[in-house]
Order: sequence, then structure tokens, then C-alpha cells
Amino acid sequence: MDQFKQKAIEEAYELIADLEASLLVLEDNSDDKNHISKVFRIMHTLKGNSAMFGFDYIAEYTHHIESIYDLVRNDKLKLNKDIFDLTLNSVDHLNLLLEDVNLAEEANKTRHTAKLNELIDFVKKINALIESGISFIDLDAAKTPKEQAPIENVVEPVKPVEAEIIIQSKVEEKTENIVVEETKEQIISYLITIIAHKEMLQLGTNPIFLFDDLAQLGKTEVYVGIEKDSVDFIALNPIQCHLTWNVILATSQGEDAIKDVFIFVESDCDLEIKKIADDNVFDKSDAQTFIYQILETTSSKSLLEFNHSFEIITTPVVKEEKKKAAIPTVKATVTEEIAAPVEIKKVEKTSTAAKDAAATSIRVPSERLDTLMNLVSELVTTQARLSMFAETSDNTEVTAIAENVQKLTRQLRDIAFNICLVPIQNLLTRFQRLVRDLSAELKKDVELYIEGSETELDKSMIESLSDPIMHILRNSLDHGIEMPDVREKLGKPRMAAIHIRAFYSGANVILQITDDGAGIDLEKVRSKAISKGLVSADVNLTKKDIIELLFLPGFSTAEKITGVSGRGVGMDVVRRKIMDIRGEVDVDTKPGAGTSISIRLPLTLSIIDGLLVEIDTVSYIIPLSVVDKCYAVEHSRIVSAYNNIIVLDGEQIPFYYMREEFNCSTPPPVLAQIIVVRYEEHRIGIVIDTIIGEYQAVLKPLGKMYKKQDMISGASILGDGTIALVLDSNKIIKRFGHQELV
Amino acid sequence: MNELSTLTSYLSFKLGDETFAANVSKVLNILEMTKITKVPKAPEYMKGVINLRGTVLPLVDTRIKFGLTATEFTVNTCILVLDIKIGDDSLQVGGLVDAVQEVLEIEPNQILPPPNIGSKYHSEFISGMYKASEEQFIMILDMDKVFSADELIEVHESSQSVH
Repeated sequence: MDQFKQKAIEEAYELIADLEASLLVLEDNSDDKNHISKVFRIMHTLKGNSAMFGFDYIAEYTHHIESIYDLVRNDKLKLNKDIFDLTLNSVDHLNLLLEDVNLAEEANKTRHTAKLNELIDFVKKINALIESGISFIDLDAAKTPKEQAPIENVVEPVKPVEAEIIIQSKVEEKTENIVVEETKEQIISYLITIIAHKEMLQLGTNPIFLFDDLAQLGKTEVYVGIEKDSVDFIALNPIQCHLTWNVILATSQGEDAIKDVFIFVESDCDLEIKKIADDNVFDKSDAQTFIYQILETTSSKSLLEFNHSFEIITTPVVKEEKKKAAIPTVKATVTEEIAAPVEIKKVEKTSTAAKDAAATSIRVPSERLDTLMNLVSELVTTQARLSMFAETSDNTEVTAIAENVQKLTRQLRDIAFNICLVPIQNLLTRFQRLVRDLSAELKKDVELYIEGSETELDKSMIESLSDPIMHILRNSLDHGIEMPDVREKLGKPRMAAIHIRAFYSGANVILQITDDGAGIDLEKVRSKAISKGLVSADVNLTKKDIIELLFLPGFSTAEKITGVSGRGVGMDVVRRKIMDIRGEVDVDTKPGAGTSISIRLPLTLSIIDGLLVEIDTVSYIIPLSVVDKCYAVEHSRIVSAYNNIIVLDGEQIPFYYMREEFNCSTPPPVLAQIIVVRYEEHRIGIVIDTIIGEYQAVLKPLGKMYKKQDMISGASILGDGTIALVLDSNKIIKRFGHQELV
Repeated sequence: MNELSTLTSYLSFKLGDETFAANVSKVLNILEMTKITKVPKAPEYMKGVINLRGTVLPLVDTRIKFGLTATEFTVNTCILVLDIKIGDDSLQVGGLVDAVQEVLEIEPNQILPPPNIGSKYHSEFISGMYKASEEQFIMILDMDKVFSADELIEVHESSQSVH
């Protein structure tokens, strides 16, 4: 049970994340029906799940919010800022409730009671308004009832029903006795409309059982219809279901009991349950007339027409001339509610879409994925051994098998990687909220724009990115972006913009966080660094050097520590965190125009395609993704090259002589190899001794003891058990570029 | 865990002519010499990395750490796989020693305080002395300190090396 609870909680967190996203859309456009429905649905699901797992506090709380949104989506209540803030607050509260589902802590309990009361008061207020006969409440607009409502806007043609045949359900007679007994209780009549999805029968649902079940609840009458668009009998696909049922049910059991009947077929049909009368319609003298009218009003006009045309043949029951004056009050309610079915249908549709998507994906605990990745890594290493053995063996069959295994391993590896990739979206939506709250707190107008949220990253990286990005955003909001008035004076729009862009660049994913604030005051950074004794005053620093100072531990330009940033965690922590996941941080700034921070991340963490090379008997791996071209060059040309530049294919390429860099003492080979690697716009040669071949490298960290080794990003174990070091070409190039400047 | 740290068993090993001992709770493994992959541009005492059953283990030349000459490899040269605590982290390191000798049972009351002066070794690494015989003293090492001291220096260095 505990594991189910855990799952329920995980799911709840996801739902809340979705909820937050929807709310933020609603903030900009409070009429967005889709998102209102989504909020309602999420609350509904939360309530259901929580009740199922005994999280009673959550269930109770969400129930109230659900009822508010039920009114909103039925156009009885206008979504205004009060409701909006209330819901947004509830997000925080729900998170709290999820952490402490049983409210074990006293403080949480008090908080919950306060929150709940606040909510209940609000609901009471609204209910009071509704009871006073207002059909549409706009809390902002001085509570003027608006009869016309925005119904016109939302009414869409209801899926037309072509023909209607009335079947006197045979189960009806069976249960009649029971119904008679039950009449003493409060009996309410419902109209249940079931629009079957085409594949309903294929999925094994037998509607007859549903009607049997309904008949258990009370007296039923079932009316069958056919969809209009399937009336072309030639094109009709007989294995699909084109039927629509309208069931009139008089029961004392309540709506929930009806819903329970449909619990397993929810995804196979569009269901709509509506109260049509507060008593048993079948007891009325003009029962048929009344039912008929209900059916007319509920479904579209086309249904009505066809009803008439088929009437004579199929409905001997409805014969007598109707006393058209059914009960006017009931009729009124029905007309008022006419907008509702349309809305419900929309909800139903989106929810089925979501369900379709869910059906093709499954939830897997992340530990299992980690295990999978570890096993794949082991497999890759073992496969390397096999390949090596096969090469030295004379048995051609072994060679063939080894090749096959290599191919399969590679595919398996790629797929395992893809499994571990998640879109960056989940991470970024969190920041929408952060920016919203922070900008309010700082009294600044800031809009966060997110681009490329579909970009995928290894899930373990996403987890470690949250803190650094949060920190960067805080910095930007607190230090970067000016107050609205200042911005206006500078000729900038009052509303500042922060862009987060995520995109692929070669084997990297780049996350760029750009603001249009004041930028970094380089002179201030410099003088601060001097006053802190980090640099001496007479050193000439380039812009790059000064920016580099920001990454020193304990460096902060904030004049005073604010609640937002400057808690002693600086850019050095950001860089360290990013470096832990083999990423890099770059800062670019333009005084007065803003700052841009780029985080460059590798696509995957654990296995790379590499080029295995040798320098002075030690094996190295260069990530294949950066390799552009390989050249063989006489060693003498390299030694004699002036200023480490060599002409290859008519192009001047600066190179980096690894032997010299690593202080190798053994005699060099006559023919050296130059691997030309690419980094941003640069092409740079790395001179090594020999190329051994392509290699799938399982990356292992070198450990803390080698943290200083920035040219080596890790190690990999080769098939024969020796270790190859992974060269970080980006770092080499960066270093190279730096040397050139000096 | 507590049980381990209160163990009174010590593994003795030789560095040059001197005998040292480390609490067995710190020693995970004793390996024979294997192929070392040298990591370029590392400090001298960092010998390189070795493959310890699929994980990459950094290897420290304990002799250099102690101010002796670099280890000369003989048949007796061994690698101790040590579990080092640095703050809250634990980390595995291989330490090269000239020879591994035996496991001794030393009660806490048999451990004498370390000498304050006159030691050619970094005395802060020594947690106590044990008198094995009339002529022989065994120095009991605080392995956490031996290997984490330089880690601190490194962190310090890297923060200065930016400019």
C-alpha cells in the first residue's frame, strides 16, 4: 500500500505542476476555457486520488476549489483575481499537504485549518449569491446578474444525433417492483447521455451491462440514437460503434452512484449526467411528453427533427397529442444549463486525449532507470572486451558474433539514453512562478519568456540544474533589472523581459538566460575585487578576466544582502554545480543592455562515442562529437611550426601539441596525427601520436583527487582493463585561446 | 558503523625502513601492483589511476606524501584501497606502500601519544605510537588526515589559480 501511496503522491506533485502551468496561462487570459477545465479536472483528480488513499485533508481542500471551478467552467462565475490568487495560494498549500499528508505537525495543522476556513468562507459567499438567484456571478462587476451570459460564445453544435429509436428496456420491468418500494424515498430523475467512442465495442465494453447496472439503481428508460455523420451506410464501418444513448433514470441513489456505474468506461465514451427533475418523472401523468421535451432540449435540433420523422414507425408509445406545457420551472433550468453539456463535452474530449497519451507511456521509478543505465554501461565495457578478444582470435565466427553484439549494444545504449531524457519544460515552468513572485516582491515588472522548453536533457542533469538557474534568475531580478521608473527614464519598456532559451548545439544543449537589465558594471566588479584583495590594482584586466572574477568564491557585488539574493551563495557555486554535470557557464554582459548567461551542457552524462588515441603509450579518448577531421603530419613539421600554426587543406589551423603539454619524454613517432576539433566557431588541432579507432566510452569520474585536472574530464576502462583518459577538448581550446591572448 | 570505528585491529605496513599501521576499518582492500595510468599534469604524489574492478581509483604515492623519495616498485609493493572521510563525503583512494606486514591487535591503552618534535614525517598524520618490541615503534596513522590534508591544499590552490 505504501508504494501506491508514494505513487499517488508523485502523481499529485505532477498534477500540481500542471495546475501551476495552467494557472499562469489563466493569469494572462482568464477566459481560457481549456485551462479552466484543466484546473477543474486536476482538482477533481487530486480529490479522487487523495480520497482513495486516505489523504482526507487534501481531498477536503480540493473539493472546495473544485466546486469553485465547477461554477467557473459552467459560466456561473467569472474568474477574477481573488479566485485566481486563492487558487495560486492553494498550490503552495497543497504542496505542504503533500509533504505532510496527515498533518502530523501542529503548525501545519493550524495553517491548514486557516486555509480551509478561508476557502470555505469564499465558497459560502458564492453559494449565497447563487441561491439569491443570480445565474452568472462576476465578483468584480458589482454583482450584477447577467442572464444572457457568454453562452453564445461557447455554444457549439452538439454532435448531431440522426435517429432515435425508443427501446423499452427489458431490464426495466425486472426492477419495477424495487422501484415501487423505493418511491417513498427522495427520488430524483436524471438524464444520462452516453456518446460511445467508435472503438468502444472493440475495447470490450458491452453497453447492455451498463444499462443493467443503471436499472439496478432505479427505473430506467433507454433511448438509442445514431450519429449523424455515420448515416452513410455504405461507408459505415460495422465494427465501430456509432450509437448514442439517452437514459432517463429515476433513482434515490444520487449522482455518485451513477458515476460509479461508468467508472470503467469513462475513457470509452463521453458521459453526461444531468438532473432533470426533483421527483420521479415516470410517476407523472404526462411522463412521456415530459421526457420527450427533455430530450428535445438537451440534444440538438436535428435530433428533434429526426425524432419526429421516425416517430410513427418506432415510437408507438409517444402518440397522444402533447400538452406542451410541461413544468415550466424545470424547463427553465434545462435551458439555462444548455451551455453546460457543450463544456462538459470539451472537458471529456481533452481528458480522453490525455488518456490516450497516457496509454502509450508508463511510469517507471527513476532508480530502475539508473539501474538500467548502469547495466548498459557494464554491457558496453564487456562488449569492448569481447571485441578485443575477437580481434585477436582466429575464429571468424567469434568475430561475427562480436560485431553483432557491438551493433546491438550500440542500439541498446542509444535507446536507454533516450529513455532517460526528459523535456526541460518541467524544470522551467517552476521558474515562471518564481519570477512572478519575486518581481512582485521587488516591485519590478518582469516577464519571463521560455523558448525551446521541449529540448530534452538527461533527467539527472535536470535535477542538478534547478538551483543554478534559480540563482541566476534571482541575481538577474535583484541586481540586473532596474525599477520600472528607472527603466522608463532610460527609454526601456517598463516591463523587463527575461528570456530562457534552450536549444541543441552539436552534442550539447545550451541554456541561455538573458535579461534586458542594467548589465554588470565591470568597473565595480574590478574595484570590488581589488578591495577584497583578489587582484592587485595595477593588473590590466580584460573584460573576460573581470567576468571571471565573478566566479570567485565569496564574491558578491550586491551592496547589501537582500532577501532575494546574496545569501552567500555566489556564482562560484553555480559554476561548480554546472561543472559537476560536465557543463560550462559563460557570462556576457553589455552595460545598460543586459546580461546573458549561457550554460552549456553535454547531452548525456555517462557514455560517449569517442576517438581512442595514444600519446606516449597512454590511451586518451576525444569525444567524437567534436572531432572534425584527422590529418597525418610529419612530426618535424610540428616541431618546426612557427607560433603553433599549421596549414592544413589551405587553412591555417592553430594546434596544441599534447606531448609538450604533458611533458612526455619518450621519442615521438615519425608521423604524428592532428585531430582537428571544433569548438564554437574555432577549429583547433590537437597533436597526438596515433589513432587507435572509434570507441564507446563509459565515462567514469576521476574523483576529487584529480579535480584540478581540467583538461581531463574523466576516464574510461578499455576492453583489456587498462584505463583511458577522456580529453576535454573544450577546456583545451579555452586554455589555448587564453594563452594566445596573453 | 560504530562497531567498525572502534575496532582495535590495525594493519601494519612498511614505508622505507619504518613501520606504520592503519586501522583496518579504513582499509577496504589490499591489491598487488597493477598497471597504472598516469594522469598528466597531476601533482607528483598522484601516481595516476588504476582499474579497480570497473571503477577508476586514484592512486597516491604515500612515500612522497610523507616526504620520502618516490616508491620504487618491487615484488612487495602493494596498493591499499582506503576509505577516506573528507567532511561528510567518503572517497576511495589507493595508497602505494612498500610492503604489507600483518594485522595487530592494539588496545587503546597501548597507544602512546605521538612525538611532538624530531619527527621527519609530518607529525600531524600520526595519531599515536605503539611499542611493538624493545627496539621497534609502530606509528599509527590517521588515514583521513593523511589523504584529506592535501585535498584542502588543492581546493585552496584552485581558488587562487584563477588570476
